[in-house]
Amino acid sequence: MCFPVGCAARPRGDCGRYPTEPVLVLRDIRKAFGSTVAVDGLSLEVRAGEVFGLLGPNGAGKSTTIAIATGLLVPDTGSVDLLGLGSPTDARVRMHLGLAPQEITLYGELTARENLMFLADLYGLASAKARVDELLALVELDTRAADRTAGFSGGMKRRLNLAAALVHDPQLVLLDEPTAGVDPQSRNRILELVRTLAARGKTILYTTHYMEEAAKICDRVGIVDHGRMLDVGSVAELIARHGGDSAVTVERDGAEERVVTADPVAEVARQFASGGVTGVRIDRPDLESVFLALTGRSLRE
Amino acid sequence: MRAILAIAKKDLRLMFRDKGDVFFTFALPALMAVLFGFVFGGGGGGSKIKLALVNESDAPIAARIADDLASDPSFKVDRMETRDAAVAAVRSGKAAAAVMLPASMQQGVDSMLSGGGMSIDVVVDPSRRAEAGLVQGKLNELAFRQFPRIMADQAQMKRMFDGMRRSIESSKELTPGQKLAGGALATAGEAFSRTIAQGSGAAEGSGADKAAAPGFSPVRVAFEELPKREGGPRSSFDVSIPIGIVWGIAGCVGAFAASLVVERTRGTLARLRLAPITRAHLLAGKGLACFFTAMVVQALLILLAVIGFGSSIMQPGMLAVACVFAAFAFTGLAMLIAGLCKTEAEANGAGRGAILVLALIGGGTIPLFFMPPVLETLSYTSPFRWAVMAIEGPFWRDLPFSEQLVPLLVLFSLGLGGFLLGARLGALREAR
Repeated sequence: MCFPVGCAARPRGDCGRYPTEPVLVLRDIRKAFGSTVAVDGLSLEVRAGEVFGLLGPNGAGKSTTIAIATGLLVPDTGSVDLLGLGSPTDARVRMHLGLAPQEITLYGELTARENLMFLADLYGLASAKARVDELLALVELDTRAADRTAGFSGGMKRRLNLAAALVHDPQLVLLDEPTAGVDPQSRNRILELVRTLAARGKTILYTTHYMEEAAKICDRVGIVDHGRMLDVGSVAELIARHGGDSAVTVERDGAEERVVTADPVAEVARQFASGGVTGVRIDRPDLESVFLALTGRSLRE
Repeated sequence: MRAILAIAKKDLRLMFRDKGDVFFTFALPALMAVLFGFVFGGGGGGSKIKLALVNESDAPIAARIADDLASDPSFKVDRMETRDAAVAAVRSGKAAAAVMLPASMQQGVDSMLSGGGMSIDVVVDPSRRAEAGLVQGKLNELAFRQFPRIMADQAQMKRMFDGMRRSIESSKELTPGQKLAGGALATAGEAFSRTIAQGSGAAEGSGADKAAAPGFSPVRVAFEELPKREGGPRSSFDVSIPIGIVWGIAGCVGAFAASLVVERTRGTLARLRLAPITRAHLLAGKGLACFFTAMVVQALLILLAVIGFGSSIMQPGMLAVACVFAAFAFTGLAMLIAGLCKTEAEANGAGRGAILVLALIGGGTIPLFFMPPVLETLSYTSPFRWAVMAIEGPFWRDLPFSEQLVPLLVLFSLGLGGFLLGARLGALREAR
């Protein structure tokens, strides 16, 4: 099996000779904490080179799934396989993945460079300094390398948290809600970083409860609720399957008329043809519509 | 090994950047050692009791008592002109007691055999009863020390026996027979006192000073101190340095126990566990940092004792061994506390509190040999006691190896048990 590390700027979904080879496979995972079932028979496959989004509300079981995928938690039932090498509970298998947890897992009293150098030493990197310099530049913190991270903004901490997951240049990067609690500008920078990583050939498992993020950066999205995987597909596929029809709102003589249709363009043309139209708005179905259709409730509830 | 060193280096860096941890691990123990050293009797006269002394008498005996007080190593005497000034010094805390030698002192001595007596007035601060007790005892001692001088002073004795005769003759309660017997007793006593004065080589009426030295003494006590090295510490700092070490290790244990809990609660432990290292590597790295810090604390305090206060180590090699075992034991204790504590608040509150209690009963405040029996027995439950025993043995007690073995074995067992139990508890907590 070939998983070249850092194969730069390759086409999405095409990593070497096995473009669709699964990197991470979770089969029928179940995990309960006492009487609370966090993950309930969840299965998923993350393919080489893709950005896979795990979309669901808070408490859906995304972080538990990530913990199981990294080997930090052992599932009650089911199996996990990373790169065909076996379970990530094995340290030799686990070193092929990197995790940016939802919490900021940095040492506030260490500088940005010291945080990354510590991890580089843990992984026994030979050219640790060069790698750390490269990562600091990647996350645009090279000018703050000597500053203690306790004084960093939320966005800067998030970026360094992400860099910490990349120190050992893993094939699979798991990002658990990487934009939680940051301002829109920092969020955009993080999303840009994820795109950069994807362009460099990293396989990414990305959890979020923001559908806009999932729609922007994910090749495929899995909808999760109550620990179950409801459906998986590209955004377009999910919308086609569950999003329903578009809604065309026509404004005429100060009054609005809403028409639900499978072909909004044709409907707009028909409305203009009938005359008197002063305004038109098309509401296409999105992931919110998908989630509503699958669960009967809004993602934001 | 590289991963273990990386974890240890990171933990040491974090610890040294936390001002609170540095203070409690290094500064406070040094302060405690120095402070207790002075309290237990070191420090160039700092322990002298301050007295305000007023001598209102022109009698030679008053001058001698005043001089004796001034030359006594227990006191620092400040001579004052008036009683009011002396009492004011006590009230303001500048003196523990005011000692007044009244103008009537000579009359008191003269009438010693006829119902009178020497009197000294003392005013003490009620909040300093312990010092007042010492002052009272010392004054009694000084007063009794005057008797040989009085008895060797022919003129003084003549005045005393004359006063006795006058008192007997003027008494209305005595019968003529009793008066006759009393007069004879006075004459015999005076004659006896002359033989004492002659025996001491003093001329009649020549003052007491020459007579005082080898003169009459009712009891002679041969007083000899034990050779210091065998009987106890050579200086109070020999005792206070192990106390400082107790506090240093306590600070170190608290800091590292909390650091492990913080790793768990803040999620950095998850990052460490993802690295290609085993749990044993992780614990070894953290343990190494704790062990290293405990060794540094001990080394610094022992250096302070040797360089700063002139202590000399009886068995340097065994002291190094004792320090290694103590550091190992408390590294295990840090692991155990980290395993027992669920949150940072628990580690910083209950965890550090438990360490504090163990340190207090284990010799952190009172030297083991000063402890009352109940506390002394209780102290065996504290690992700090065993550490103090292990360190004192080669430091100043100069114990044979066989007597140092038990504390070392106890420390080793505590370290191993704490490490294993703490690791197990930690693993269970992380699995939840």
